[in-house]
Amino acid sequence: MSPDDIQSIFFQECEEGLASAETALMAIKAGEHDGETINTIFRAVHSIKGGAGAFGFNPLQAFTHHFETLLDKVRDGELSLTPPLVELLMGAFDVLADHVTAIRGEGDQPDDAAMEQALRDALTAAPAAVPVAAPVVPELSFDLAAMMAELAAPADVPAQDWRVAFTPAAGDLAHGSEPLLLMRELAALGGQVVRADADRVPTLDGFDPDAAYMGWTLRLPAAADRALIEEVFDFVADPASVTIERAAFDESAVAVPAPTPVLQSPPAAPAAPTVAEPPAVQAPPAAKPAKVAAGATIRVDLEKLDRLVDLVGELVITQSMLSQRLVSNGLAAVEELADLDQLTRELQDSAMAIRAQPVKSVFSRVPRIVRELEASTGKRVQIEVEGEATELDKTVIERIGEPLTHLVRNCVDHGIELPADRLAKGKPAEGRLRLSAEHKGSRIVISVSDDGAGIDRERVLAIAAERGIVPADARLSDEEIDQLIFAPGFSTAREVSNISGRGVGMDVVRQNVQALGGRITIQSRPGEGSSFALALPLTLAIVDGMVVSVGDQTYIIPLTHIVESLRPERGQVQSTGLGNRVLNVRGSFLPVLGIGDQLGLSGTVSEPSEGVLIVVETESAGSAILMVDAIIDQRQVVIKSLETHYQQVEGVAGATILGDGRVALILDVEGLVGLRAPMPLRCAS
Amino acid sequence: MQKRILAVDDSLSMRMLLRASLTSAGYEVAEAEDGRAALDWLENNEPTLVITDINMPRLDGFGLIAELRAQERFRDMPILVLTTESSPEKKARARDAGATGWIVKPFDPEKLTVAVRRVMH
Repeated sequence: MSPDDIQSIFFQECEEGLASAETALMAIKAGEHDGETINTIFRAVHSIKGGAGAFGFNPLQAFTHHFETLLDKVRDGELSLTPPLVELLMGAFDVLADHVTAIRGEGDQPDDAAMEQALRDALTAAPAAVPVAAPVVPELSFDLAAMMAELAAPADVPAQDWRVAFTPAAGDLAHGSEPLLLMRELAALGGQVVRADADRVPTLDGFDPDAAYMGWTLRLPAAADRALIEEVFDFVADPASVTIERAAFDESAVAVPAPTPVLQSPPAAPAAPTVAEPPAVQAPPAAKPAKVAAGATIRVDLEKLDRLVDLVGELVITQSMLSQRLVSNGLAAVEELADLDQLTRELQDSAMAIRAQPVKSVFSRVPRIVRELEASTGKRVQIEVEGEATELDKTVIERIGEPLTHLVRNCVDHGIELPADRLAKGKPAEGRLRLSAEHKGSRIVISVSDDGAGIDRERVLAIAAERGIVPADARLSDEEIDQLIFAPGFSTAREVSNISGRGVGMDVVRQNVQALGGRITIQSRPGEGSSFALALPLTLAIVDGMVVSVGDQTYIIPLTHIVESLRPERGQVQSTGLGNRVLNVRGSFLPVLGIGDQLGLSGTVSEPSEGVLIVVETESAGSAILMVDAIIDQRQVVIKSLETHYQQVEGVAGATILGDGRVALILDVEGLVGLRAPMPLRCAS
Repeated sequence: MQKRILAVDDSLSMRMLLRASLTSAGYEVAEAEDGRAALDWLENNEPTLVITDINMPRLDGFGLIAELRAQERFRDMPILVLTTESSPEKKARARDAGATGWIVKPFDPEKLTVAVRRVMH
């Protein structure tokens, strides 16, 4: 594992820490907290500080130090959680989050001077009036008196040697301390034992093998660094048992016979002999290798996981081929077949579950966004979260953040009214924003709702007409009007919004959601609020598709694009010349595309009334109709990349293997409908 | 026989750093993510040394040391405390709990191995 890998783990830990700290802060704000809540925040900040130091992120380390010091006081009860203090903690949290963003190289170093000062001020405001925190992590404590004495020593007198006296107290040798090791280190600094004091060693009947009885005096050369000598004793139980001073030695004292034997054998008071011996009781390392990783989780390379999911996909396909084969041989009643089927399904679910992560990681970003919005709009919002433990595929989680953020901004910006307006309407001043996630069949539905004003349909319609999205005299149902906010080029912000705007509209949100194989729907009631629902696939490895036949080929059309399917009467599909055909579907003329023509197949149905027309909607090219010969089935299929096995093909999103072993291409509806666009131009030229 | 060190820290990156430094110094390293996990592992293992963080969920470093010192088996095993604090009070507290020594975070690998050698028998 390289330093970079460890660093990226640290980044991940920072995010996790921020998420749990934020949750805890929310609980504190809501008044639902206990001692553990503040502890959670403390631990998160503390861990970030530790890592920041280790990886050399000094500004982050400095900031976390101040934050931590304050949290420590809160934890110890020296500061109580008054509303202003909670606000301060939240503000500090935001700065911390910015710091983390900065070290990841995703943002600028925040200016934390003001916040740092606020944290210091809060500290001095502590009732106990504790002096402000110690300087950032001093590595060694200094003996000021000794330093002063040293400075005061006349410079012209040659420095004297060091006299180091060490007399451990009786209990000091417990816990694994070993004087011999100290002697060795002092010897490395040029130390010699000038006196071993064995006066306190009792007679055998009063002898406790675990107790320390001896003391030593050592002489170290004058040139030795005091700090280094002190460091040797850094580990000694009681600093009081050590004195380090410059001293004149009686040269004859140095001649005390043979200091070396003391260094070579354990001192007279054996510091628990069992420790010095090789640990015989220790189990061989190989005995329990599985136990070495004591953690409850492991981290696995994503590639390995994807490979597993892929293999399980293959297994599912093979299993369904096998069962089809058995069925066609009259062996449908084989009992093991049902078991195998069940097992494969469970295996597939488990494999998918490994890639799953709780939506909490996305939801936990919302409070901060809302806080910022509250500050900039003057609105007041209370957040309710439900189902944050619901799990979604990792990739979906990663890509859902932005659309979700946009929806939240939209709800606060356009939905929830100002406190005064709300009160005037008889609503509580504080608006409600509800986030929820739940399983619904093979999908996860995430919804974002507010109890605000709802969609102003008159205005939406007026804007859509003004932008040429619908004809000025269009008569649309309420649902159709609501859908207009997703239309490309539609933006409801009266003034160019600096909040919801951010350069993208709801059409981009829908596009992002659809790119994930998801769907977005909206429900709105004037005066009562709006609710957006994102129906997302549990995984990107499987798609819900309609199995259709075209000529002798079988294709899969992803269900997310399909609006409806219909069978026209002869003559309903009209030709517009240039080989183009259209069908009037409830007032709008949609182009009819023969999949066979698009993909260059022969022997397909060319008369629409003999085939099936499937109305699809796309982001880039609007709605269209795909003409196929017949609909065979509707099912989930495992997506196989065509690129890895062959090459990218226009109009094809991937492939899958059907139960009978045949390969079926999954159509890229977006691409197919887009392909149509240049056609008239080609014909015209 | 290779000496084995148990590294206890709730931060994975910190454990990784410990592991990297200690394995390159020739030690075998086991990990635990908090005091409770360390105790579970220690039930069936006896390392030469334990290095533990203080602030951890479930069971913190002080608690872990206290539990270990209460067991005859671990009474004399060296335990190093990994701490960002170097105040005399914190050191005194670690000492009173039964720690053999401490390492100040952030540590550099050389200091770490010196500290480890200092307490290894």
